[in-house]
Amino acid sequence: MLFALLLLPPLVSSVLPAVVRRHGRALGWVNVAGASLSLAASAGLSASVVTGADAPAAPGALLAADALSALLAVCIALVTLLAVALGPGLADDDPHDATAVRRYRIFLNALALTMLVAVTTTSVALMWVAIEATTIASAIIIPLERTKASVEASWKYLLICSVGIALAFAGTVLAYFDFVSTTGPLPSALDWTVLRAAAPALRPELMRLAFAFILVGYGTKAGLAPMHTWLPDAHSEAPAPLSAMMSGVLLAVAMYAIARWKSVVDASLGPSFTNTLLMTAGLLSVVIGTFSLVIQRHYKRMLAYSSVEHIGLATIGLALGPLGVFAAFLHLVNHAVAKSMAFLLAGRVLERYRTSEIAGVSGLLRAMPWTGGLFGVAVLTLVGLPPFGLFLSEFLLVRAAVVTGQFFVAGAVLALLVVAFASLLNHLNHMLYGQVPDGVAVGERRGWPTVTLAGCAGLLVMLGVVLPWPVTALLDRAVSVLTP
Amino acid sequence: MQTFSQLVMLCAGGMLVTALIPLWRKGVPAYISAFKWQSWLLAVLTTLVGYFGRDPQLYGVAILIVGLKGVAMPALLRTMDRRFGHQRELRPYVNPETALLMAGVLVLFAYVLARPWMEVTTLPTRAGLPLAMALLFISLLILVNRKKAITQVIGFLMLENAIALLAVVGTYGVPLLVELGVFLDALMGFLVMQIFVYQIHETFETIDVDQLTRLKH
Repeated sequence: MLFALLLLPPLVSSVLPAVVRRHGRALGWVNVAGASLSLAASAGLSASVVTGADAPAAPGALLAADALSALLAVCIALVTLLAVALGPGLADDDPHDATAVRRYRIFLNALALTMLVAVTTTSVALMWVAIEATTIASAIIIPLERTKASVEASWKYLLICSVGIALAFAGTVLAYFDFVSTTGPLPSALDWTVLRAAAPALRPELMRLAFAFILVGYGTKAGLAPMHTWLPDAHSEAPAPLSAMMSGVLLAVAMYAIARWKSVVDASLGPSFTNTLLMTAGLLSVVIGTFSLVIQRHYKRMLAYSSVEHIGLATIGLALGPLGVFAAFLHLVNHAVAKSMAFLLAGRVLERYRTSEIAGVSGLLRAMPWTGGLFGVAVLTLVGLPPFGLFLSEFLLVRAAVVTGQFFVAGAVLALLVVAFASLLNHLNHMLYGQVPDGVAVGERRGWPTVTLAGCAGLLVMLGVVLPWPVTALLDRAVSVLTP
Repeated sequence: MQTFSQLVMLCAGGMLVTALIPLWRKGVPAYISAFKWQSWLLAVLTTLVGYFGRDPQLYGVAILIVGLKGVAMPALLRTMDRRFGHQRELRPYVNPETALLMAGVLVLFAYVLARPWMEVTTLPTRAGLPLAMALLFISLLILVNRKKAITQVIGFLMLENAIALLAVVGTYGVPLLVELGVFLDALMGFLVMQIFVYQIHETFETIDVDQLTRLKH
């Protein structure tokens, strides 16, 4: 029942604009209502997980949600709601034409649907099918306004991620091959709880290779260095609400796949193999993300590289045992809210200033007091300042490194965070203050979009200051799902 | 069983040979027919596994492979090529001799990599495993070596064939639902790639991806 409420709204919202060609605005509000319903259903799923009211999934069931699935589903539904409500077609001064709006709604909702399926399916192979479909659904609306840069970015994204994800399927097949040769063919063998139960009997040399393929594959999708090359292009050229989806939750979905597989492979090999690989990829991503921040000249690319950095941090967290996994997923939740907010605001800045270069934007606080102020809040969150959520998750991450005795990692992460802090603040400073360039209108109205975005800021403060009980309970259970 | 494993070897070996064609031939039509033959061989192999492994589901999968990858996709690729056929293919990053040599090394590497698996399994089809890995690596080589968007699409389709081969010789095929999902993704992915090839052509007036250098840092 809850699954139907979770998955049907995005399905309906994706099909409706394809069938009904008129009443664009009304459809937009129907879409918002659907996304809210989906969010409520994901909250319901979380509640049933936390209270333990749900029965374990029947064998052979295609959909099931444990704490980790529920956590991801809430993030996806929340960011989808933001992307739908603040996306093309609903604002009073909307520059998009009706065809663009229709295309956007069809594929954005398809993207939301595939992501929700990816995190709630029990089968590792169907999870793969869903994640592959996310690439297709998102690539097609990157060039919503067709420019050379956006076509190039989406081609790069489509090709690199399709190849990457194909390798992840090779890894999945290898693990399945291992399972079939050890225990014989079973229809439920691709169910990941079954896989994990069988994992101790599987051949380590095959699992090692399978995980290497899976990490490269889903790592490409997650934007882990050195497979991140598509990410800054795709995330900076996509329309702002799509960037919010891709950066905020699509990366987290890929991380979810890696985390699930890690727990299977760990049951076979012990954690040291996967930890080493994840730690290397994570540190490399943080290094590349951070130093690319320093030299950035475009603010949307700046946000994209910041995603590489944060995904790197979460990957490091996955390699640091239960405490680290807790920090990693808290970090992903915080990042989902903060980065979506930042991209949506960046879209508004782009609309007003007509340039994506940091050098072309100044006096933002004067020209757009609300957008500028909230953008400042979003960037301050992303650099990890208290009282916002990312401070807490980064603190927990470093603590996990210290507790597990990895002082080098803790030191490196802290040093890199300082570099990221300095460069992001430097860029922010340039954008917020100074003279408003000629030809840029000054002043803005405060409407419901601004209030919604301010709500995100409130959410981030709440996650940073009180860390409400339902969130910790969900995270605790998610950690125990992954590290039994 | 002896015949079975020999036939499987024959088909898998044939698929590997078709993957070498894009490395040394010039002209997209040759690549398209290479991909077509590769898909037909994959379908034959799937039928064989279905017959000897007594799994009638695989017949359906073989029919899907023929319909989609053996007939529909080559036809669409040909239409695309007729649109852009007059364009000169640029030199690949690596010349054909070196590329073939690299392919040889990749095949050896695949055999080394697959050695431990051969001990794991007693399937009569196990000799196809290293060939599937070799096909996978060579498809990746095609992908990175070529500059035309349409050739990259063919490389990607060959990569998908490699994984399908791996699944069929290693596990006698993944469950049907998954198989259908994979086909759906392959079809959608191909159609979207096709749209983008046309878009690249319209916006850049070439499908030479070397020209796509707008985005740096």
